[in-house]
This record gives sequence, structure tokens and C-alpha cells, in this order.
Amino acid sequence: MTTELATDPRLWIEVHAWLDHEAELLDEGRFQEWLELITEDVCYGMPVRLTRERGAADSHRGNQYFLENAATLRLRVERLATEFAWAEDPPSRTRRFVTNIRVQPDPEGVRVRSYLLVFRNRGDDAGQEWLSCERRDLLRPTPAGLRLARREIWIDQSIVGSRNLAIFL
Amino acid sequence: MTISIGRPTETGPRDGLGARLAARVDIDAGSLPAFVFNDREVYERELGAIFGRCWLMVAHVSEIPEPGDYVTRTMGTSPVIVVRDEKGEVQVFLNACRHRGMRVCRADLGNASHFRCPYHGFTYKNSGELVGVPFQKAAYGDILDRQRLRLLSARCAVSHGLVFATWHPDAPTLEEYLGHLGWYLDLYLGRAEMEVFGPPQRWEMPTNWKIPAENGASDAYHTAHTHASLPKIGLIVGGSKFAEAGYHVHAGNGHGLGLGMPTDELVFPSEMLDEYRRRLRPEQFQTLIQVKNSHCTLFPNLTFVLSSARLEGEIVSHLNMQLWQPRGPDRTEVLSWGLVEKDASPRWKERARRHYIITFGASGVFEQDDAENWMDITRNCGSPVAQSLDFLYLQGLGRQPATDFPGPGEVYPSKYSENNARAFYRRWLELMLHDD
Repeated sequence: MTTELATDPRLWIEVHAWLDHEAELLDEGRFQEWLELITEDVCYGMPVRLTRERGAADSHRGNQYFLENAATLRLRVERLATEFAWAEDPPSRTRRFVTNIRVQPDPEGVRVRSYLLVFRNRGDDAGQEWLSCERRDLLRPTPAGLRLARREIWIDQSIVGSRNLAIFL
Repeated sequence: MTISIGRPTETGPRDGLGARLAARVDIDAGSLPAFVFNDREVYERELGAIFGRCWLMVAHVSEIPEPGDYVTRTMGTSPVIVVRDEKGEVQVFLNACRHRGMRVCRADLGNASHFRCPYHGFTYKNSGELVGVPFQKAAYGDILDRQRLRLLSARCAVSHGLVFATWHPDAPTLEEYLGHLGWYLDLYLGRAEMEVFGPPQRWEMPTNWKIPAENGASDAYHTAHTHASLPKIGLIVGGSKFAEAGYHVHAGNGHGLGLGMPTDELVFPSEMLDEYRRRLRPEQFQTLIQVKNSHCTLFPNLTFVLSSARLEGEIVSHLNMQLWQPRGPDRTEVLSWGLVEKDASPRWKERARRHYIITFGASGVFEQDDAENWMDITRNCGSPVAQSLDFLYLQGLGRQPATDFPGPGEVYPSKYSENNARAFYRRWLELMLHDD
């Protein structure tokens, strides 16, 4: 991966702004607007993570926590809008912290790696869930701006410390 | 059929917990006290009385196909290694060195001929023998009996591709333990060679393990309301009869299931029908092809769901397994596998995998709403006033058994029943009050 200085600073700023905007949409529950940021051929996955000896493959793409295309992402959003989506109604309070953004232009678009730390709190629980992960994205330039064409979420736990994954990462 | 695993208590409850249970539990009257779902004393008794005695599922054979392949799991809270040894035999060992108890294997899965303890280097073959002790002569002279110091072995047996183990030396055979459930496991797992999509999803829920286990055994009734979002988005078809039509079966020993049937259309891959016919008895085959969905708990803590839907315009189905591992009176670790026919078409397998992930994994649209209920029930059951409540297990009391169903067990018409929950807790109580 090239260093940040080797990347066109305008592209670097555009990617930062895109990720901040996406986090805002998800934290504010503006899921329909979020869906406008994905491509029709989007692949959205989250492999199972494994504890292995150093050097061995520590993830598995056979079983994944998410394995979505545009249709299933829309289905999930449509579900949240029904009055029976108990897992997120009342909604969680979430705050997504996006850092360590690395940008690499690519013939297919822009490859972006970012760290994501999500704070999630629900109901009258004084505690919280923290989910830490790296996201490996492919953003594709379109006339309307950058769009998410591929995302792989690498969670930093082999046992996810959350009651469910009813939120998008 | 009831399998006794030892002498039931004849003298009645002798201690505080036994008296508390005897005073409040009245299963025949359909009543169970709230405190059993969040109580330290109940939980600690369960680790021995339930998880120390029952046959427990630890792996699927497709996870460890080759000699040396292993996965690490827990039986209740006890860490174990499930390994296929060099002779091809599956063995289950406590993951603890005989010297100081350190875990001799610290990976989730892999392939190994030996397990070496990181602490002092005691080394065991994958068949359990202690074969290496560093500086043995200098450290021990001739007083160490290596023969006696194998990794502690659980009794282990394989049925329907599932590896089970038990710590109880006098447990019945696995076949006896499964009893009538074998007929139904044939439908889930014996109809064709099945394989898992990969290692299990794992996550931790703030709930008591019995709530999801009971739900899997008995509760089709919740589907209409808890999962009311799913007909709205087309992931469930069949209208108001969705959850009701079918049979409710107690297969003995606390194993319970519901079969949603009949179906309007075949929910299985048509290329597999010949294979099903070869492997199943005619009455099993005729039952299977009418099934739309099914839920089951193999006592104590393994739940199966056979789920079907119309996804992106086409019918699809898969089988999933959830293992509810006790982690405290109010905590459960979930291991979740999706399974599919090994010889189904690549296209069907891919669609089945996506169907599993969107419905029953940690992000599954069924699973996530279930978790919300189970968590808040558990919280309530930890508060003193809520603990004084007695919960209702009345559905199906006095109902006449079905006479038009070919499968074994106590079979009732309509999936709306709590007979399986009563059977689950009868078995649970029998084990909890068992006099050693």
C-alpha cells in the first residue's frame, strides 16, 4: 500500500468525508439514505474469526456473520422499518469511530482500509457493547460520487461480544 | 420411552435447592417458577447434574475429516479437544495437562499429531497417551507412571454425523439416549450426507441457556408475534397458519420437536430426492417431502432449525444447529453452524448458505429478535419480585395425541403446544433432583 503522501490528497479527503458521512447515516438510523451509497453488485461480508497458531489462517469465509448482496441489505433495512423489528426497536444508541484510513487507487476503484470502533448501548442498560474491527472496502467512483462495491469486515473477536448483530458495521 | 441414567431420588430433596424446586415446580399442572432462569445455585447444580451427565454434541464429523484434524470445544464449561486420531477414530479429551492443568491445545481448530503443554512441555499423542516428559530422568527418576497419565478421556460416540461425548461412565448408549429422536434426526441429517459451511459463528448472549433450548424444543407459538416482521418482508409465507399447522412431538428423554407441514411446494433441492429415497424409509421420505420447516432441541442444549423461504424469488432451505453453552446464570455462548447436502448443486449450496446467514446466524433476522426476548426475560428472572412468578406451561394439557402421523414418540396435532417444554423440564428436574 502506498503512503498517504503518495495518494492524491483530494481523493484522500473525499474518502475520509465519505466514511464520516456513512457513519453519520448509520448512527442516525438513516438506513434508506445509506442504501443509496451501495452499488447494485455490492458484496458485504464478515468472516468468522479463529484463534490459530501464528502463521495459520485465522478467518473462515465459509461461515460468515454477514454475507449480503444489494437485495438482502435492502431486505434487512425494510425489516427495520416494520413495527416488529424488536432487536432494534427501540433502537440502540450507536457511535461509530472511524480511524486509520488508508487509501489506494486501483483499476477497479479505490481500495480503502479503515478501523471501526462501535459503541452500542440499549434500553436502561448502563453498560455497553464495543465492537472493534477493520473494514476492507472497495469504493467505486460513479457520477453521483463514491459508492460501496465491496466490504469485508474483520471483527477482532473469535466470540463476538454482542447479543446479536442487528446493526450494520 | 424414558431412559433412567441412575437411581432417582427416593428420599426426596435433601438440601436447600431441592426443597426450593420441590416447593415451586409443578410440571403436571403446567407451572414453573421464574427463579430457575436466573439463579446461581440452579446454574451451579446444572453444570454437574445436566452437563456432567448427559450426552453432549461437540462437533460435526465434516469439521474433522482427516486424521489429526481437531477442534476445541466445551462440554458445558469443561474445555475439550475433539480429534480424529491417526487410526481415524474420533476421541474427546479434557483440554488439560495432567501435570498442572494447563490447556495443551490453544487453537480453535487445526491438524496435529501431538499436543504439547506450553507450561513444562508434557507431550501427548492425538490418541491421548503421554509420550514426552522433558528431562524425565532428572526430574522424576523412575517414579512417574506415564501409562496412567493419559489426557482425561470422555466417552464418545457418533450418530447422524454428530460427535457426542459424556463424562458419565454409566450413561446409556448414545442410541438409547437419542431414542425415538433418531427417526427425526434421519430427516434432518440422515437424508443425505451433510456438511457444515465452516466453523461455527460464536457470540455471547446475556440469557440463561434453558430459554433458547426450551424455545427450540417447544415454541412454535412465538413465531407469529416475535417474527411478525418476516411475513411483511416475504421471508415467511403461509399467512396466519404459518406457525400452527403441523405436529408437536416429544421423542422421549426431553428431546422435543415441531414439524411444520404440509408445504405448498418442495423446499428441498430436487436433485437430492433420489438420494433421500435411498437413505430413508418410505414413511420417512413421504414425511420429509411434506415438511416446510422444523425446530428441535436435542436435550439438553442442541437446537436444530430446518428453515425454508422464498429468497430473491426462489425457494431455498437449510438446516442450522445452535449449541447453547452455559456461561453463567444469565450468560450463554452460542455456537451456530449452517449445514447443507454435500452433493447438492453448487448453486443450491450457495443460496442455502446465504439463507442461513440472513435468518439464523448472529445477524439473522429470526435470531436477533429472539435474543431480545430471551435477554429481557433473564434480567427479569434475576429480580426478587419477578422470581415469585410462576410461568405458564399449559398449552396442550389434556389434548389427544395425533393418529395420522407415521413417526414415533408422543405426537400431537397442531404445533401450538407446550407439551415438549413440560417434557424438557421433567427431564431437567429428574436430573437436578437425582440422588448420587
